Amino acid sequence: MESGYTLAQATAEAARCLLCHDAPCSGDCPATTDPGRFIRQLRMRNIKGAIATVKRNNALGGLCGALCPTCDMCQRACTATGIGRPIDIGGLQRFLVEYGWEIGFSPLAAGASNGVQVAVVGAGPAGLSCASDLAQAGFAVTVFDRLDGPGGVPAHVIPSQRLSRAFMDREIQEILDLGVTFVGGREIAGRDDLQALFDEGFAAVYLGTGAWRPTRLAVAGNDADGVWDGIGFLGRAKADHNGMKKVVSGQTVAVIGGGDTAMDVALVASRLGAKDVYLLYRRSFPQMPANAEERQRLLDEGVHALILTQPVGYRVEEGRVVGIRAARTQLTDRMVRGRRRAEAIEGSEHDIPATLVVEAIGLRPEESIRQLGLIEFDRGDRIQVEAATGRTGADRVYAGGDAVRGAARIAEAVGDGKRAAAAIVAELGEGVAR
Amino acid sequence: MTYQRDLSLDFCGVRFVNPVMLSSSPVSNTGEMIGRAFDAGFGGVAYKTIGKGDVKIIHPFPRMAGYDYMSRKLVGLQNVEQISDRPLDDNLRDIRYLKRNWPDRIVIASIMGFSNDEWRELAVACEQAGADMLEMNFSCPHMTVEGSGMKVGQAFDLVENFSATVKAAVSIPVLAKMTPNVTDICEPALSAKAGGADGLAAINTVSALTNIDLNRFVPLPDVAGKGAMSGYSGPAVKPIGLRCIAQMAQHPELGIPISGMGGIETWIDAVEYMLCGAGTLQITTGVIHYGYRIVEDILEGMSYFMDQHGFESVDDFIGKALPQTVPTDEFDLGHQGVAAYDLDRCIGCGQCHIVCQDAGGQCLAWDEHSRRPVMDENRCLGCMICSFICPVSDPPLISPRAVPGKPEVIPPPAE
Repeated sequence: MESGYTLAQATAEAARCLLCHDAPCSGDCPATTDPGRFIRQLRMRNIKGAIATVKRNNALGGLCGALCPTCDMCQRACTATGIGRPIDIGGLQRFLVEYGWEIGFSPLAAGASNGVQVAVVGAGPAGLSCASDLAQAGFAVTVFDRLDGPGGVPAHVIPSQRLSRAFMDREIQEILDLGVTFVGGREIAGRDDLQALFDEGFAAVYLGTGAWRPTRLAVAGNDADGVWDGIGFLGRAKADHNGMKKVVSGQTVAVIGGGDTAMDVALVASRLGAKDVYLLYRRSFPQMPANAEERQRLLDEGVHALILTQPVGYRVEEGRVVGIRAARTQLTDRMVRGRRRAEAIEGSEHDIPATLVVEAIGLRPEESIRQLGLIEFDRGDRIQVEAATGRTGADRVYAGGDAVRGAARIAEAVGDGKRAAAAIVAELGEGVAR
Repeated sequence: MTYQRDLSLDFCGVRFVNPVMLSSSPVSNTGEMIGRAFDAGFGGVAYKTIGKGDVKIIHPFPRMAGYDYMSRKLVGLQNVEQISDRPLDDNLRDIRYLKRNWPDRIVIASIMGFSNDEWRELAVACEQAGADMLEMNFSCPHMTVEGSGMKVGQAFDLVENFSATVKAAVSIPVLAKMTPNVTDICEPALSAKAGGADGLAAINTVSALTNIDLNRFVPLPDVAGKGAMSGYSGPAVKPIGLRCIAQMAQHPELGIPISGMGGIETWIDAVEYMLCGAGTLQITTGVIHYGYRIVEDILEGMSYFMDQHGFESVDDFIGKALPQTVPTDEFDLGHQGVAAYDLDRCIGCGQCHIVCQDAGGQCLAWDEHSRRPVMDENRCLGCMICSFICPVSDPPLISPRAVPGKPEVIPPPAE
């Protein structure tokens, strides 16, 4: 993880801010971040106030500052673009959180206990955000996760080049310090598991179970040795760096996809010593879900980007992948979800050698979540909720984050957790007799 | 090689190759340093103030503190440095060294005595060492020796007395360096002239407190737990310096040359001082910030300025702003106007709306939808503060526009 701003650098960046009236950057963050306020506070040397603005709104403010693609979000509204370039809002937010750690200032405090227990299922950004807001409101919160450690995708999947373990742990510790209990290694996915939580004394349940099921390429050979899915690849690389170095080193790696996961996989594969890394994407650069910064990082890393290239099959020898059968595509005028559709060009099929292939083409909630009783799902296995509150159809069961949206941005998960926490506070905040 | 016109001038009868000098300070502490400054292009030096040495001079530690504005370093500089702590003989040897090796550069020996005799002896010694001129330091605001420096400059009879002593002892021209820390800088200047001073130098540093340490409650620089009201210099004091120079230059009874200083960094600062009546110029804080090399851009910038205006000599523009510098009762109050907006280039930050609401005439409404100000010129005070904070420049988005016959804008009482 690259180092963030120093105080002097952050001060210089904040000095460029135009301190807009009705700051447009503060308009539409899914996590209700208010950069107009915290940058003004930093500019006026009210640094503790700025840290408090960030952290009290979002206990994962550092994480968001480091990971959020702000260039596609709040920074798009930045007025300073009119006379130069936008303010690095994410960088400043991350700085404030790290500076709080440096000077030992923590603006978070547990609320006076109201005696109400809430269970949060899933210790990713949505769950932790909900847990943190509830703890600050006086609830006794227990966070369950099937993994041994908290942090969800950021902790277990996102490469350490983008988010270090220490950074993540530090920010999570601040949430645990509010009195939040973490229980690892317990999966809540059975038919009676929700009822069991209520029976244990929890007055409400928040589900932030995420979207961990990789979409796979529907071609023969995807079960061959050497074919990985993106989240599995990144998870292994993060858990066992040296082991994966042996697996990847010297290999010709092909990554399929154009989103954040694909970018991360390509970067990690390169850093793990791959001989060559190819990125196959069936559309062109502007259609990639990954943002411009990530795309540039990839090119700088020396990854060979094969745009307008679509895998149509695997070449497998003796059970091991040895290459990809691919076709050239062209973009048609038909739009699919705002992007031009790609279609294969007849007769363009060719072979791309690859000894290790990673499919990173999408994530959705795991099918097993459907076994949970009481609540309803859509066809994509996503939990159905009321958007403003995260309420599911079941009494006192709330949900948010990727479990509801499919793979989404971290700020959206944080926003979901906050909204559900607010709804739980409104419903149960005065204390309830079970 | 940079472009340079003939910038030479006569100042108190002494020929300078150009008007830019080092002022008496850490930047003119030794012959070796000043030699390099001459090589860089400085036309002269006011040599670091020389004392007799009978009273031991010790500089406090630390002796300076920078004053920053946001990310901008050193907009001001606070210091408690004393006069030269070097032996008198070493300083005299360095003056000889400089005149021997750079004969066309002017060495002004700054001196400070702690008695009439010391003033006389220092003056004679420096003249004999080859100094072209003397500068009497009546103005250091933080001397650790009681009754010296600024204390002299604030006691006008002493200014006249010491000026007379020095003037009687030497034949070279003598400048009196004035403190701005008086009600009217012209009063001690008149005393210096009465004592025989040939010219004036100003301003010395402004007495100030720039920073207080928030943990130890000590003004900076923190000298073992104590701070002092002491000399403040740099770009932040330039407006005060310009005012003092213009005041003295306009005074009908003064009429002697002025060496101007206070916050000069660029050729623009330099030209402004000369337009307000300074003949020569002196620099310290600019050199502390950037080094001797800044003289190159001052000389080159001044040369292009002269080209632009067709000035043949620096004398053509010395004092040229003085006729337009008037008491406010000479203003034409019939001339009124408004802030004119070029909204095609507006980027929508809305700072103009905020300042107009909170500090102006409340004439700028805000269109939330388009994110643009909406001007009601009938209520515009013409105060122009909106133009000071507007981030769009080259040319400014907001500029003053005269409105002949504009009715008075008087804000009504609150309802």
